[in-house]
Amino acid sequence: MANVLFTNIRIFDGTGTQPFAGDVLVQGNRISRVSSGVRSLPATGVTVVEGLGATLMPGMVEAHTHFAWNDQPSLSAIQRMPPEEHILWCAHVAKRYLDMGWTSCLGAATAKPRLDVVIRNAIESGQIPGPRYLAASQEITVLGGLGDETLPHLPYPEFSFGAIVSGPEEMRKTVRMFLKYGVDTIKLNLSGEYIAGLPAEFTPMTDEEVAIAAAETKMRGKRLAAHARSAESVKQCVRHGIELVFHASFIDSEGLDMLEAAKEKHFVAPGLAWLINTSFHASKWGLMPDAMKAMGYHRELEVAVESLKKMMKRGIRILPGGDYGFAWTEHGTNARDLEYFVKYLGMSPMEALLSATKFGGQVMMRGDELGQVREGFLADLLLVDGDPLADIRILQDRARILAVMKDGEFHRAPPARQAGQPARVTRAPAFA
Amino acid sequence: MNATLFTNVRILDCTGAQPYAGEVLMRGNRIERVVSGQRVLPRADAMVIDGAGATLMPGLVEAHTHFAWNNAETLQDIQRMPTEEHTLWTAGVAKVYLDHGFTSCVGAATAKPRLDVVVRNAINEGLIPGPRYLAASQEITVAGGLGDETLPHVPWPEFSFGVNVSGPEEMRRAVRMALKYGVDSVKLNLSGDNLTPHADAHTTWMSDEEVAVACREAHMRGKRVAAHARSAASVKQCVRHGIEVIYHASYTDSEALDLLEGAKDRVFVAPGLSVIIKLLSEGTKYGIPPERARAMGYQRELDAACESLREMKKRGIRVLPGGDYGFAWAPHGANAMDLEYFVKYLGFTPMEAIVSATRLGGEIMMKPGELGLVREGALADLLLVDGDPLSNLAILRDKTRLLAIVKDGKFHKAPEVATRTMSQAVPA
Repeated sequence: MANVLFTNIRIFDGTGTQPFAGDVLVQGNRISRVSSGVRSLPATGVTVVEGLGATLMPGMVEAHTHFAWNDQPSLSAIQRMPPEEHILWCAHVAKRYLDMGWTSCLGAATAKPRLDVVIRNAIESGQIPGPRYLAASQEITVLGGLGDETLPHLPYPEFSFGAIVSGPEEMRKTVRMFLKYGVDTIKLNLSGEYIAGLPAEFTPMTDEEVAIAAAETKMRGKRLAAHARSAESVKQCVRHGIELVFHASFIDSEGLDMLEAAKEKHFVAPGLAWLINTSFHASKWGLMPDAMKAMGYHRELEVAVESLKKMMKRGIRILPGGDYGFAWTEHGTNARDLEYFVKYLGMSPMEALLSATKFGGQVMMRGDELGQVREGFLADLLLVDGDPLADIRILQDRARILAVMKDGEFHRAPPARQAGQPARVTRAPAFA
Repeated sequence: MNATLFTNVRILDCTGAQPYAGEVLMRGNRIERVVSGQRVLPRADAMVIDGAGATLMPGLVEAHTHFAWNNAETLQDIQRMPTEEHTLWTAGVAKVYLDHGFTSCVGAATAKPRLDVVVRNAINEGLIPGPRYLAASQEITVAGGLGDETLPHVPWPEFSFGVNVSGPEEMRRAVRMALKYGVDSVKLNLSGDNLTPHADAHTTWMSDEEVAVACREAHMRGKRVAAHARSAASVKQCVRHGIEVIYHASYTDSEALDLLEGAKDRVFVAPGLSVIIKLLSEGTKYGIPPERARAMGYQRELDAACESLREMKKRGIRVLPGGDYGFAWAPHGANAMDLEYFVKYLGFTPMEAIVSATRLGGEIMMKPGELGLVREGALADLLLVDGDPLSNLAILRDKTRLLAIVKDGKFHKAPEVATRTMSQAVPA
């Protein structure tokens, strides 16, 4: 691993301070020096990256990722993909996230028992490129809940992207199976979802089932995540210590109080992209805005925006990411979430960026070494052409992300400034 | 269309002609112009690559590839890998072949029903890098034959890398299933193998009725049949039933040789010598010391194979390199070793060995005349090689000597050229 010195850059360090001019030295997989002002770091024995005034910032963290969702226009299409194609797809998607500057992703659920675990292992062993990844289970759900895609005459579980349980003992067995496979996170579908036929305000899983899942998972030191749109499901999350709360649209004041009281522990990843794009931008795939309004999505978006603003005010951590991987929310376009945070929730660009970096390090359980440009931190870095604080949308543009470094190694090195023509090949000395 | 002009190269065109200095213009996925000597091609609109005297030759073709074999020491270990890992492994291996200059591979058999098909499709869609690929079925075998890894108390078919059939109707079903999945070739295990001592290389296991049904079903859909055929009787079965791709053919008699010669415009032989040679010379590392390898019959088979294959070469039967890489003793990527084996054991000249891996390779890929040659109109699968492989075949085993690898007109590996970039190494 070569040591790399970034010079002539503006540093967005993810601590909350305004960007400053300076140099950053990476040694091995860590940031060893951060200097501000005039160049002060020694430039020998290193690869020097001349930033030409570009912004150096922490790699972004996606807090609610579904590598296995396949950019299709329906939930049932997810499981039409056989396991061989599905694992190659997941590998491809993992690379797409890294390409777009997401150096960490938190798996929110996978579609077949082992897809997430296998991809995480393949990334960690260097077999495939991809972000740091926490692997999830399938969505554990109940009959008729989100994730159950069986039909009365086709009861085969392979049709469902979720794992269907009924009762605490089935829950125990299912959770243990996923833990055996090696997941980092157990995902529970606590609330409904309009498009899946059960309203978002409903809460179909019993406390007994949730309690068993939480006990089994925590016994092995793993975390839980929940699809929790209803008011009651958010409270279930707090009651049972489910750290990762996805959506939380219909939270009520009791839920807000509970979440605020436990705000050091919980993260909320609303996945606004799904609500916004399903409501208004999916007509190309037959989901007309009127029909989506009738289903309840327009109202949920309005309620969710108000709920999230209240959470912000109470200092509850809200993170970007969520439910990319449908035809109208393609993988890789996830930085739109930062724009949504500014536009819909009234975050400042600084707040939106911190939610993707500083909070991201925390949701990855490495807040003291990930998500900031600080000495001793892991070298997950982006070199960005422009100032994302001035225009948060530039992070959606692959061409503006000049370089992506993960764990001290370039996934994408800075581009060639100019190519020499004609090119004479470099040959081994013996033949030169 | 993008054009690339290679100048200052020695062209090894693999027609059999000696290399010559010249220039090659590639446009789109084809070779548009080839000129020799002092003639120059117009530079306009082309990216010019000055080859600095390197050799430009066709990409290599592997005639007997098992992407799904996982560099293990035993046959059982192939199937210990779950489907998800196995698919990623297979995809990774596809890239390894391209990295080593194999721009085409003929799938010889896969280990789970769909691995080969899925990886071929992913390559063709551009989802993963890999060579041109013809996807194979699993090895169809009979109870107790090569490929049956079940145990009496563990009868589950998932343990076997082969598919067990018994009788013509089970064969028909197995072949149709593979064809439904989209294979390019159906693989039959006709003979035994010394790796399975209870079913050694001399023995022949499948009935003519079964073979006939398999060939009929595959040929009806316009697909090919390939066979594991080490015994003389199995080689004859291949010719009798119109099996196009014959693997091994170690043991032959004059009847078998006559049959092969009579069908020489139709059949290909890919002996896959690496297992035999490696186990005899380096087997100790893998728990098979030389005396055991000899007891397993490997020395006898090597002697017989050398004699059979030399005779085939004499009779003009097409013998191609490649085969059975993907074991601990012959890991994926080392396949160009076969060219040296052809020279050392079978009496090929280096030129003959290279032509068998390129021009004959184009023929086994079913693209005769347009693949495996550097000629105008041919598909642009090209290697830029640092040195002269005719004077030293080992160069082709050295990835670092492959300066550029082009498949279908696109650089899989672009030559290193002097460019200025935003980053620059500053020595200490």
